[in-house]
Amino acid sequence: MESNDLSTLIDGCRAGDAPAWEAFVRRFQGRMFALAYSYVGDREDARDLAQEIFVRLYEARAQWLTGDEFLPWLFRVARNRSVDFLRRRKVRTPPATVDEAAIAELADPAPSAEARALDSDRRGLLHAALRGLSAINREIVVLRDVHGLSIQQVASILGIPLGTVKSRASRARVELAERVLALARGRGGG
Amino acid sequence: MSGMTCDSVRAAALDPDIHPRDWMQRPEVAAHLSGCENCRDWLEAFGALEHLWAAEPAAAFADSVLARTCGVDALLAELPSLAEIDPGPGFAERVLLATSQRPAAAGWLVRWAGAWRAVVRRPRFAWEAAYVATVCWVLVFGNPVGAWEWSASRIGAVARERLGGPVKEFRADLESWRAQWAPGPAVAPGAAPQQADAVPLALRAWQAGAAQIQRGTAYVFDALKHAWTSIGEWVAWLVQQIWPPPAEPQASPVRSTQ
Repeated sequence: MESNDLSTLIDGCRAGDAPAWEAFVRRFQGRMFALAYSYVGDREDARDLAQEIFVRLYEARAQWLTGDEFLPWLFRVARNRSVDFLRRRKVRTPPATVDEAAIAELADPAPSAEARALDSDRRGLLHAALRGLSAINREIVVLRDVHGLSIQQVASILGIPLGTVKSRASRARVELAERVLALARGRGGG
Repeated sequence: MSGMTCDSVRAAALDPDIHPRDWMQRPEVAAHLSGCENCRDWLEAFGALEHLWAAEPAAAFADSVLARTCGVDALLAELPSLAEIDPGPGFAERVLLATSQRPAAAGWLVRWAGAWRAVVRRPRFAWEAAYVATVCWVLVFGNPVGAWEWSASRIGAVARERLGGPVKEFRADLESWRAQWAPGPAVAPGAAPQQADAVPLALRAWQAGAAQIQRGTAYVFDALKHAWTSIGEWVAWLVQQIWPPPAEPQASPVRSTQ
């Protein structure tokens, strides 16, 4: 039923139907914002990036893929825009060698109420730990474990061999668990 | 399969009082793992955490849910909740406003032209174009100075060969035309002025000039055509030198039947 709804929505968007586009934006805004946030780690930048992703999708709506190919294609477009965004803004994610104290500092409650609310719970902890991962491991975890894409789809989106994704996925989870534990201890929660 | 279920195996594995190494050496656990692929996959992630688990005293994080579940399982269950985050009020309206005035996707030609325009507008494009042009020039002509010398001498020879005759002819015509216009002997008083001949003479001069221009143009066109043909022959020769045509297969020697 849901896939039928999505197919209808996609067809409407491809045909230039404004209500369908609005429904699509409202349906996917949370996912696109979450994906953008995983790349830039800042709410305002993530809003800008998510908007850019939607604009790109709108411009290319005549070329949207349909059926099972849509979601992987959507994430590929979003990922490409995110990489472009990072390149343009020269935003650099924390290197993998950064010390745990620095990550704990990053994960501390930020001055804004929104950021404080986001970082105050376990989701905030997970976000902070995700930001501490190496870029490739973070992308694998986000696409595979957060957004539920298959190993094949992740490999296709990232353009790396299937075996690499498989081996890295397991290690990325362990790395994430290590980061979470380190951050939890840094906050005094452990 | 042993009497242990997946849950009991995992619960034992996650028991902070049992070291993972001890747990994996228990025969009932090993028997269960040998027949359960799901638990083996789970173990793969869990096993990688062994060094982490061993490095920490269990009591130090006995109260932590993450620690008691050894991290991975709890994390994997938690991660899908990150798939959607509320971007805040007004985000959808902002996106709709940004896309309301945008045209539909352009065709490939327009997109290609746009991409090309973006490339050309970059400040370093001039340097890149100059570099590519220089490389092409050197590849085609060998070296820039030689090419200039070759083309200048070649064009000069063609010009001399093609335009030498017409130029001489044109000069002779010009001399005769000047001679016709040169002031003649003084007219005797009382004689009728030769004003009537001036008009046909100017007309003839105009016609002669036009004919000369027409002939000159035709010769220039011929010269250019000849030069173009020479360049084509030279390029063909060059191509033949670089990629020689395949040799004709040799006919097999005819054997005498006798």
